[in-house]
Amino acid sequence: MKPSALRAFATLLRREVLVEVRTRSLLASMGLFALLEVVVVGLGLRALPADETLTRAVPAVLWVCILFAAVVGINRSALSDRDKNLHAAFLILPFDPAIVYVTRLCASFFFLCIVEAVMIAAAVPLLRLEIPREPWLLAVLALTNLSVLSAGVLLASATAQAKASEALLVILLLPVVTVVFLGATGATDAFASGLGFEAARAHVLLLCVCGAMFPGLGILLYGKLHEG
Amino acid sequence: MPKSVMVTLALAVAALIGAEVTLWLAYHYAPVQITAGSLFVSQPSMGVPTNNLYESYRIFFIHLPAAYSTALCCGLGLVGGVMFLLTRQDKWDALTVSAAEIGLVAGAITLLTGSFWADYAWGTGKVGSGWNWEPRLTTMLILWLAFAAMLAMRSSIPALALRQKLTAVYGILVAPLYPLVQKAIEIGQTSHPRSFSDMLSAPEIATTKHMASICILLVFVAAVALRFTWNRAQTQLAAERAA
Repeated sequence: MKPSALRAFATLLRREVLVEVRTRSLLASMGLFALLEVVVVGLGLRALPADETLTRAVPAVLWVCILFAAVVGINRSALSDRDKNLHAAFLILPFDPAIVYVTRLCASFFFLCIVEAVMIAAAVPLLRLEIPREPWLLAVLALTNLSVLSAGVLLASATAQAKASEALLVILLLPVVTVVFLGATGATDAFASGLGFEAARAHVLLLCVCGAMFPGLGILLYGKLHEG
Repeated sequence: MPKSVMVTLALAVAALIGAEVTLWLAYHYAPVQITAGSLFVSQPSMGVPTNNLYESYRIFFIHLPAAYSTALCCGLGLVGGVMFLLTRQDKWDALTVSAAEIGLVAGAITLLTGSFWADYAWGTGKVGSGWNWEPRLTTMLILWLAFAAMLAMRSSIPALALRQKLTAVYGILVAPLYPLVQKAIEIGQTSHPRSFSDMLSAPEIATTKHMASICILLVFVAAVALRFTWNRAQTQLAAERAA
């Protein structure tokens, strides 16, 4: 009997979370990589005085750290699937391959949010980060994560099967998601400068377009990318 | 000779004639523009403020068609990608690759000619001084990098089926970047002119701009057609060797 889409999604998501709870491999590698990035960047910025330049530069630098941590997570997840030949197994299950994609996207989103929380907590003392009191930043964070991960999960599922997949994913993903990065840094800068939503509107709109477009394309293309 | 090759050669000849016509119009028909004020649309923040374009505007007769050609290559990549995923025919894969190859060249010309003019228009005159990371320039560079990434990916995946599918998917992912390039001038502060129609509105200049757009676009269409013929022949040869 064919399971409902929601049931299939719930089962696969539960599997993703259980595997991570038992192995902690993804969170450990992403989290440690993110902390190392913050430490290295902190060393680079240590000589700068705590003025407006630093206040505005730190969020942008943090976005770069988040982007690379996300790439590490996506790649590790895709390579782990390849090693266990899980990808092919998922695709012969009796439901739409797009559900596999959405599950992987949701799980990656959840894990990246945890890593970001750790990274931001570490950045407050190490990078002298001042978190702007702006609720819209949560939307910016969510939309950026969604856009980056949706393109990343789609591409990683294919590049994992190629040689030098780690480098290939970075080469393919970065040009596509740099547009997202443009929106994220622009919006964060506007909020960090205290200019409010009006100044960040165009960047938030760009993130909304990316946040709708990339997952939509991912859902449409994932099955096509993996059919025989 | 196959009909497709004949069409490609005819396109190439028409493109060469068109390029010559464009050059002649740009340097012998369009006047030296010396009108000040409204023609300069940006707010120069660096260097000496310049109030007129003089000879520099002639670079637009290459810059604009090259930008249109980049857009065309994005569109062809999208069509090739969608059609390949629907039909799995090699010719659509060849179209996406050819569009990426020529898009890379057209994008490079757009970026270089734009940068040269920017150095004069809002930079200090030194090479590279006009590059100010404003959204239009940055998004165009991203698009160019995406074309380069697609070609780099193709050379690193030996398995034909995976390479073709990933090329098609990437062609579809890259295509929406061009509308973002177009809309980028509405994001944040921009030095890039918002409209070339106002800047190049004098009758001789407008005529030259329209002719240049058609003729240089034809050059890039011919280049895509040539690369398409070449890429298809290579795929067929590889298939025959494998058989």
